[in-house]
Amino acid sequence: MISSDVIRGYNDTIILYMLLDNESYGYEISKKIKELSDEKYIIKETTLYSAFNRLEKNGYIESFYKQETFGKRRTYYRITKAGTDYYKEKCVEWEVTKQVINRFIKEVN
Amino acid sequence: METINNYLENMFASLPNTEEMRKLKEELLSNMEEKYHELKRDGKTENEAIGIVISEFGNIDELIHEFDIPVDKNEEELPTIITDKEVNNYLEASEKFGKVIGIGVFMCIIASAQLVLISQLVEDNVIVGVSEQAGSIIGLVPFFILIAIAVGLFIYSGMKMEKYKYIEDGVEVTSNTKTYLRQKNEAFQSTFTISLIIGVALCILSPIILFITSIYSDGASVYGVVALLCMVAVAVYIFVYYGTIRDSYKKLLRIDEFSKYKQEENRIIGAVASIIWPLAVVIFLISGLVFNQWHINWIVFPITGLLFAMFSGAYSILKEKH
Repeated sequence: MISSDVIRGYNDTIILYMLLDNESYGYEISKKIKELSDEKYIIKETTLYSAFNRLEKNGYIESFYKQETFGKRRTYYRITKAGTDYYKEKCVEWEVTKQVINRFIKEVN
Repeated sequence: METINNYLENMFASLPNTEEMRKLKEELLSNMEEKYHELKRDGKTENEAIGIVISEFGNIDELIHEFDIPVDKNEEELPTIITDKEVNNYLEASEKFGKVIGIGVFMCIIASAQLVLISQLVEDNVIVGVSEQAGSIIGLVPFFILIAIAVGLFIYSGMKMEKYKYIEDGVEVTSNTKTYLRQKNEAFQSTFTISLIIGVALCILSPIILFITSIYSDGASVYGVVALLCMVAVAVYIFVYYGTIRDSYKKLLRIDEFSKYKQEENRIIGAVASIIWPLAVVIFLISGLVFNQWHINWIVFPITGLLFAMFSGAYSILKEKH
């Protein structure tokens, strides 16, 4: 299990990734994050919704209602053009970060 | 399921009830419910499923921070959490305070009772060799001594309670302590009720002695007055002592009257009390020393008491309306 402190700066990136190919909703996103990370990262409810709020305010995602079966209404999210651009930026940033951090990583006996 | 809903309600209880928050809460709830159902489908027990859902909820502060929610001002000011030790110290100190103040008030009433008693004993020639004039004067010596001791006790215990003033201003205790206090408070409630009944009974019964003695003679009725005052003194001691203990629980648990609002009210009633009681003493002394009305002037105390009770009662009711 990864501590949420380490991953904090990349929650937005993770969520945007989930929305790249298709729109989705809260629980589905958190479930997929759990699966894709081999259950090593479970995003907290509050973290997820803080991120949704932040991303929407910045115009990176849009929310809309979708009627589900049994008349249940769900809030779905889709990524915007700005969101995709931001995602690309974050990927570049991560590559650099990874290289930098790797400089300081070595086996210690 | 109910548990999850309650949990979420509690989490949102301190947040403003806005459209945005309601929407957020609904979203979170449907997420958590879905997660719960899926866990159950995967063969988790009810408790396990609820445990997992709640443990994966996160921290409400994150939302407060992200949504820029203004934190309730009161919430920010008040809670200084105090330790169990402080709580116990405070309860002990309060009990002592109640006892000492109770004794002080008791002494004040007894002081006037003995004044009446001595002047009557002189009049009835039980104490011989003293003129009636001197009789009323010699009663004043123990009167002032008792009053002086009582005032000393008030000041001393007031100063001792000074260091617990922060508790009176409103503090928070941990939920464990709160439960413990609630239990103690409930256990004490019956003691308090009994003490209240005894006190009220004494007050109601006290005039009966006066009536009985007044049948015999005027002189006897004076002794009746003394007995009445003694009974009232005991009753007042009971009220003060048990009342203080009760207040200490109420203050810690922050039950009704120790809201900011009530404190303001108590302050005004206290200010009035500090004027009318000394005034009553002045009237008592002048009417006695100058007009030599010792046989009747004690009546200013019960009258003042009644007027004061009327004032504070009416004041509370009027204030409550706003």
